[in-house]
Amino acid sequence: MIEIENLDIDLEEFKLRDINLSINKGEVFVILGPSGAGKTVLLETIAGFFPPKNGSIILDGNFANDLPPEKRNIGFIYQDYVLFPHLTVKDNILFGVRYRNIDGIEKKFEEIVKIFNIENILHRKPCTLSGGEQQRVSLARALIMEPRLLLFDEPLSSLDKKVRENLREELRIILKRMNQTSLFVTHDQTEALVIADRIAIMRDGKIIQVGKPDEIFNSPVNEFVADFVGVETVLEGKVISRIDGLVVADVNGFKIEALADVPVGEKILMAIRPENVTVSISKEKKRSSARNNFNARVKKLTPLGAVVKVIFDCGFPLIALVTKQSAEDLGLKKGREVLISFKATAVHVIKQ
Amino acid sequence: MRFKKANLMYYVFSFMGGLLILFILLPLARSILAQSPAILIEEAGDKGVQEAIFNSIFLAAVTATIAALFGVPLAYILARVRFFGKSLIESIVDLPLAIPHTVAGILLLFVFGRYGMVGALFERFFSLRFVGTRLGIVVAMLFVSLPFMVNSAREGFESVDVRMEQVARTLGATPSEVFRRVSLPLAIRGVLTGWVLTWARAISEFGAVIILAYYPMTAPVKVYDVYSQLDLKHSSAVSVLLLVFCLAGFVIFRLLAYGGMGMGNKK
Repeated sequence: MIEIENLDIDLEEFKLRDINLSINKGEVFVILGPSGAGKTVLLETIAGFFPPKNGSIILDGNFANDLPPEKRNIGFIYQDYVLFPHLTVKDNILFGVRYRNIDGIEKKFEEIVKIFNIENILHRKPCTLSGGEQQRVSLARALIMEPRLLLFDEPLSSLDKKVRENLREELRIILKRMNQTSLFVTHDQTEALVIADRIAIMRDGKIIQVGKPDEIFNSPVNEFVADFVGVETVLEGKVISRIDGLVVADVNGFKIEALADVPVGEKILMAIRPENVTVSISKEKKRSSARNNFNARVKKLTPLGAVVKVIFDCGFPLIALVTKQSAEDLGLKKGREVLISFKATAVHVIKQ
Repeated sequence: MRFKKANLMYYVFSFMGGLLILFILLPLARSILAQSPAILIEEAGDKGVQEAIFNSIFLAAVTATIAALFGVPLAYILARVRFFGKSLIESIVDLPLAIPHTVAGILLLFVFGRYGMVGALFERFFSLRFVGTRLGIVVAMLFVSLPFMVNSAREGFESVDVRMEQVARTLGATPSEVFRRVSLPLAIRGVLTGWVLTWARAISEFGAVIILAYYPMTAPVKVYDVYSQLDLKHSSAVSVLLLVFCLAGFVIFRLLAYGGMGMGNKK
């Protein structure tokens, strides 16, 4: 268990104030915030590169402020991986094993090589690897040390979109499977949503809100959090049936259909982008390809230039973006009852 | 970039640069071609000449190695640590570049002469003298050439991403292990370049060496000696012999450090 108590950090232009976090064993904790919030500085302080000004870093019950980085057993994954360019992939991965007693290191090495599917590149130098390969090698190098905490500094942001989207789900699966306690910083809301057990929102050197993803997304404590986590609807539900890749999840007694391969009884998060939600005034559930249709009431309208952000209450909260023109045509105002619909393919399912 | 599109500016710049290259090569080529083989063979067979060339090359290598031994740690500190008075230290390192070499020789004489602080100490405890010895030659060479070692190694260390060292720390390596396994291997080109530059600079030193030690002669002193005792023909023969050794050494080290003299680094 990692505890950060009342931490103040002063480093050049960064001032972090009164940071309190506790990360449980095996938990994937995400710090989400805009760039310049001081996220990297916090990670580097936890790793031991800088001393904090006040407060304590407690690792598994031991006060660790004065411990040098090499004694903390905390791994660090940088955005651009920082592999040792003069060493082969294999030597990169095995760099640290001589400093720590790791049981069954040879077996562990084979296991890690298999997990990350890097058998074929073990003898290559980092400069010949693709971004995704470098990422996997840097993960292997950190994980083989069995760190008590693994820090990630925006590890996916330098990859292209497709690789990034595949890798982030893969990453969560691997971290959970290895029961690896992790602290992950990012400025990308979706990434936080997909990876996190819990999220802390950080701004200008302060933690503003800590909570589970659906808490953060559905009950932001203030305008900043609401603005920053953006406009995506996040719902927590439980799978009640599954047929041919189509699952039905129960959310507060309402049934939402989505494309996913999750067994019945599992809890899932569902994210719905607001531009995928259609609004109509007909009370009749119209016939269309949209599998999810709900009666809803307008709770709040926020004009955002050419579009309007509408928050609906349909037994669960749902956010939609409509053009200003449509909002006027539909006569959307607070309290108005409408029909909203979205396709099953528009629901992004995140396994818990 | 490579030359692709014809552009007037590139032609003008190439022409001006070409003149500069010619300025370096022309005297070299001229003096090599002007040699009379008989005199060249005569001087090559001369014991004094052989010894002078050996002194220059060997003592310069000793100098460069000493400079590396002490200069690399300093370079690492300068590349990595921010401290009060750092730019003063950097200026001091560069100072020998700004001191005329005969003046440097005189300054060294004050400290390393028989009655100088260090000179007296060494004579008393180790019975070692600097004036007129190989030790003195090394001291003179070191003083004028060490900035090349320190600056080049510092640039080497500065080019190593600090985060590379930080990652190594998180993997359990102590600072000295990080230096040995990460920083030094990654900065090795800077260190090697520094060694070669220091070595080359040390070979070429005349002013400071001649004041601290006329004898035993180094090659530049021998060239001067032959010139003043005999004539230009004989001294240019000695010059060419020294030149051949220097160029050979230089090429070997460039090959070792950069793996070739072909296309150069692309930028």
